[in-house]
Amino acid sequence: MGLLAAGIGAGIVAIGAGIGIGMIGKAATESIARQPEASGDIRGAMILTAAFIEGVALLGAVICILLALGIGQ
Amino acid sequence: MIQTLRRLFLTLLFLSISTPNLLAADAENKGDEPVIDVMGTVADHDYLKVPQFINGGKIYLPRFLYWENAEGESRLDFYWNTKSAIASGAFIDQDHVLTPADGGVIKMDFSITSHLVYFWAGMGLALFITIMMAGRYKRGIGKDVEPKGALQNIFEVLFIFIRDDVARANIDDNKSDKYVPYLFTMFMGIAFMNLFGLLPWAATATADLTVTATLAIITFVITQFSGTKDYWGHIFWFPGVPTWVRAILTPVEILGMFTKPFALAIRLFANMLSGKIMIIAILGLIFIFSDLFGSVAGIGVSVFSVTLTVVLYALKVFVALLQAYIFTLLSAVFIGMAAEDHHHDEENYRAEHAA
Repeated sequence: MGLLAAGIGAGIVAIGAGIGIGMIGKAATESIARQPEASGDIRGAMILTAAFIEGVALLGAVICILLALGIGQ
Repeated sequence: MIQTLRRLFLTLLFLSISTPNLLAADAENKGDEPVIDVMGTVADHDYLKVPQFINGGKIYLPRFLYWENAEGESRLDFYWNTKSAIASGAFIDQDHVLTPADGGVIKMDFSITSHLVYFWAGMGLALFITIMMAGRYKRGIGKDVEPKGALQNIFEVLFIFIRDDVARANIDDNKSDKYVPYLFTMFMGIAFMNLFGLLPWAATATADLTVTATLAIITFVITQFSGTKDYWGHIFWFPGVPTWVRAILTPVEILGMFTKPFALAIRLFANMLSGKIMIIAILGLIFIFSDLFGSVAGIGVSVFSVTLTVVLYALKVFVALLQAYIFTLLSAVFIGMAAEDHHHDEENYRAEHAA
């Protein structure tokens, strides 16, 4: 049961993080295309925002690892 | 639903307190020795892994134990390693966890572990390189003449990057230089710790929640101590909103104070842990396939596995530097948010920008 939960959870985490980071990438590439001279600033903001999303996603991933190992039951 | 969430939260809390022992015990309780011990490779140990021909592949580390014996008497004992602690008769090995023989309890375990050694190694290397370079700049190399050698050039690029793009970009100009030493220490230390994890036999110190939490707590303390009047004002009495909104905002802001370093610690920890587990899992496929379908399938999969691992290793070098950068950048952003001076009051600002 824990393994099933971990598998489904990891999948949902990947979907959420994928959508989030994909949207950042889309917005960043669009704005770099519009304003290539601001690409340095945009890249910094992109990495920062991606790091925030990644933090939440990895929190989910850690919980999935815990479920898969069956710790705390 | 709520119960499930609560259980998840408690599990995480439980794990964060007792990671090394639990994971090590979990891997070892499976009876016969597993081919690849996934959690054992990332867990904290009381020995350093070295090549097999030195001391049988393990160098045991000293143990400092603050414990209470059965009579309620507290004492601090030092042993050269776990084996000598057991040989002294005061401790026994109970399910691979050191326990006092007379039924007492270990209150604090100050033992030197493999992760601590690599923490010192990473920070020590950062310190050594920085002091060496500082000596060069004092002698005028790099100041009066151009920097000499690859090492000094790389060092200067990194240092200027941390100073200009991380500290000065995120912290107010008149304060930013004060935080450059801290940020640079964090960057170099974390980068070295992450990169040490890629060496054979070495352990990744940052794949341990205790290490990353310590680093995040240092950032938290510095953030709070550099907080201005405005920072505390925004936490306890948010300006420009009705009083009943403040009743909601104040708890949220106080919570936000603690979630920031928490996320900082979890991010670094989970990134390093998942990278390591991923490589072990992909290499483990070889053994799974040769167990299931015979050694020919194992050899076939190993071609795929080893290629993928090489690519992942290159990715991990990048991730190691990126995570060090992100930790430093977020530390700078949090410190910058706390140390910021608000020169304008809200009404004037809004009027200016509306016009």
